[in-house]
Amino acid sequence: MALASPMVTSDAIEATEFPDLADKYHVSGVPHTVINLGEGNMIGAAPEEMLVAEIQKSLQK
Amino acid sequence: MGNFLDENITKQIQEVFSSLVNPVEILLFTTQKDCEYCGDTRELMEEVCGLSDKLSLRVVDIDKDAELAKQYHIERSPSIALLADVDGARIDNGIRFSGIPAGHEFSAFIHSIISVSRQEPGISQETQAFLDSLQTPVHLEIFTTPT
Repeated sequence: MALASPMVTSDAIEATEFPDLADKYHVSGVPHTVINLGEGNMIGAAPEEMLVAEIQKSLQK
Repeated sequence: MGNFLDENITKQIQEVFSSLVNPVEILLFTTQKDCEYCGDTRELMEEVCGLSDKLSLRVVDIDKDAELAKQYHIERSPSIALLADVDGARIDNGIRFSGIPAGHEFSAFIHSIISVSRQEPGISQETQAFLDSLQTPVHLEIFTTPT
């Protein structure tokens, strides 16, 4: 998605190397996708349509 | 043969790297201070870069070159930015990796290099339409573990 839009950036974070960050977002299982610093969350695999839906939801907050 | 990639993996990566189009720079940010995986990440990146002449590696010390780190919004080490060189223009698609992209994350990393090189997101038309309609920035942080 980051490739598809200049509005989207992505960071794949190795949770065990950055435990403070993982704790901040209460990451307990992986993969765990955090949208806009916690506005949205997706735990487990993130199929495209579900991720789009979660982004939409988090932008409406 | 390197320490990270055995003969089998090397062959597989070389095969998928034959689809690379535009040159990609792997911009690796490291620090001398308390960085358990900076050395390993650098070594892994050197091995990956050696598998295609379309790839280059630039290693930046975030303390010595804080301006560049800031420019690429880098706050952690090791961090990787993938940058494409398309018709002489440097393209930053906002794709970062924090921590060593090894284990499970390695294939995602290799695929990201290919997508960046080809500038092909590989998403549906519906998703593209949604992304084109975005009025505010969206930052995704995807937490993974190597195992």
